[in-house]
Amino acid sequence: MSELTNEQVRQLPPEAFELLPDSEKNADFVAMESRSFFQDAWSNFRKNKLALVSLYFILFVCLLAVLVPILSPFTYDGMDTTALNQLPSLQHWFGTDKFGRDIFVRVMYGARISLSVGFAAAGINLVIGVIYGGVAGYLGGRVDLIMMRVVDMLYSIPSLLYVILIMLVFGSNMFSVLLGICVSSWVGMARLVRTQVLSLKEQEFSLAAFVMGASRARILFKHLIINSIGPIIVSLTMMVPSAIFQESFLGFVGIGISAPMSSWGTLANEARMVLNSYPLQIVWPVLSICLTMLALNFLGDGLGEALDPKKR
Amino acid sequence: MSEPILSVEHCCTWFDVTRGLLAKKQIVKAVDDVSFQIYPGETFGLVGESGCGKSTLGRTIVRIYSPVSGSVRYKGRDVTGLKGSELKEFRKQVQMIFQDPYASLDPRMTVGEIIREPMDIHNLHSHKEREERVAELLQIVGLKPDHIRRYPHEFSGGQRQRIGIARTLALDPEFIVCDEPISALDVSIQAQVINLLENIQKKLGISYLFIAHDLSMVKHISDRIGVMYLGHIVETGPSKVLYRHPLHPYTQGLLSAVPIPDPKTARQHRRIMLDGEIPTPINPKPCCPFASRCPRATDQCFQALPPMVEVEGRQVACFLYQESGCTASEIQSQ
Repeated sequence: MSELTNEQVRQLPPEAFELLPDSEKNADFVAMESRSFFQDAWSNFRKNKLALVSLYFILFVCLLAVLVPILSPFTYDGMDTTALNQLPSLQHWFGTDKFGRDIFVRVMYGARISLSVGFAAAGINLVIGVIYGGVAGYLGGRVDLIMMRVVDMLYSIPSLLYVILIMLVFGSNMFSVLLGICVSSWVGMARLVRTQVLSLKEQEFSLAAFVMGASRARILFKHLIINSIGPIIVSLTMMVPSAIFQESFLGFVGIGISAPMSSWGTLANEARMVLNSYPLQIVWPVLSICLTMLALNFLGDGLGEALDPKKR
Repeated sequence: MSEPILSVEHCCTWFDVTRGLLAKKQIVKAVDDVSFQIYPGETFGLVGESGCGKSTLGRTIVRIYSPVSGSVRYKGRDVTGLKGSELKEFRKQVQMIFQDPYASLDPRMTVGEIIREPMDIHNLHSHKEREERVAELLQIVGLKPDHIRRYPHEFSGGQRQRIGIARTLALDPEFIVCDEPISALDVSIQAQVINLLENIQKKLGISYLFIAHDLSMVKHISDRIGVMYLGHIVETGPSKVLYRHPLHPYTQGLLSAVPIPDPKTARQHRRIMLDGEIPTPINPKPCCPFASRCPRATDQCFQALPPMVEVEGRQVACFLYQESGCTASEIQSQ
């Protein structure tokens, strides 16, 4: 059709126009199913196969650790002098140690301790570190200066020293190991959150919330900390394995959980003594530590990505 | 004219930038002894170069910063010392539109949550009414209802600025500080946003303080204009008169820098070139802030700060207009 001027168009009879079919009337209306933030995050997370497998692996280990008394007739401290240092068999899946204790059962009991220390430490660090770092970063100025110097002081003392001192007072049990790990490691989280909050609080969206009349607590928790959730989650999932590792280390050097209770670290330490004769015994606790750490790292990456609305 | 809705009186916002314990005190006088009034339903334009204190002044008015002296009166009441519930009530009535539409929206909130937030903070309306209000606001600023569940990063700059405007309107404010709301936008989008702001003003009778450095845009939208230089307001007046006959030498220089669309007129146009740089606002000397660059400066200008005087219904701070007998047209023709 040739070009028409506006005037010509206005003079066209009504019959010259064709009505748009009903189906096309709202063609530009994009109906997106309404989903909540967590539904969105979950569907995103599922796309990351590695993270999903890691999540299932960790859940599987947790399940085994809980159900181990039902699954196996052996106990973690039951000795059998007729079956010392055996190789893996149908009866003893991971073999037995020098006292004839079932290694599979001991590794699973170890998982109870190691995982609960790991998750508990990460949880405590999260709460203390985020609040402390958030408050320091948001209030800034002199408050920040004093709060961060306290952090520096805590950080400058080696954590091994804390653990030994705490163990002297509270005895060597899980509580003191946990306390010892937490005293020094929340500092990292506090520093991370502080730097995040420091840079975010100057952004216009937090000024906008301020001008709207939002309280300081609301700005800090609803805007600033939510926006630093990516780095927080990544560092949190690093914190779980590092707490497990630290606990294992304490067990390995002999100041962690005391026998006959076991953690992955103490198991590795026991196996080390018979390493020359029965090298297979050290494989199980070490493998558990490695796989769990790897899975947690993948899980952290996946979570960080799934929780970021920009990566949708 | 009626009572001003907002009047700023001798407002000074200074920042201490002293580094180190024993260093000499260094003070940035971002806003220094500024006074002006804004009347209900009016748009007051504030222009000036980058770093002259426009945004600081705007932020002082909405109380992001506190002035070191002077007062900001909203409806006759000094708001610089407000606290608690009174401050919250003030925040409900005075809002701000921000410059950067990319930074002013929380990236982790959906559009619906962003627009609803002011109502959540002030506990206005029931839950259902809030949802309805959000839909209504989206419509006012020209966004679609299905945008409500999207995140800010899915929108263009102009759309984001509309979201910001919708959020500002959620509380039914009577006064809005627009801090360069269009300078981060494309030219074609700028007009849309300006028209939107004008329509809202027509419909709701809101007063604006419009901060910008785009002179033609300010002329278009403002009823009156204030020209700022180095923390001082050097001239105020109705926008048309001020553009036709700028009084202060700085305003003259500023206006002659506005590009003219017609090349023929532009060739005949005599531009006033301002030499030199803006002096530093750190510890300024007590003289006319513009003296160092002014083509008509006299010894007097370097010795004292010129007071604001009334010339033909306008205010100007320049010694050229201090003698009572002298009229604006006489001085311009010199």
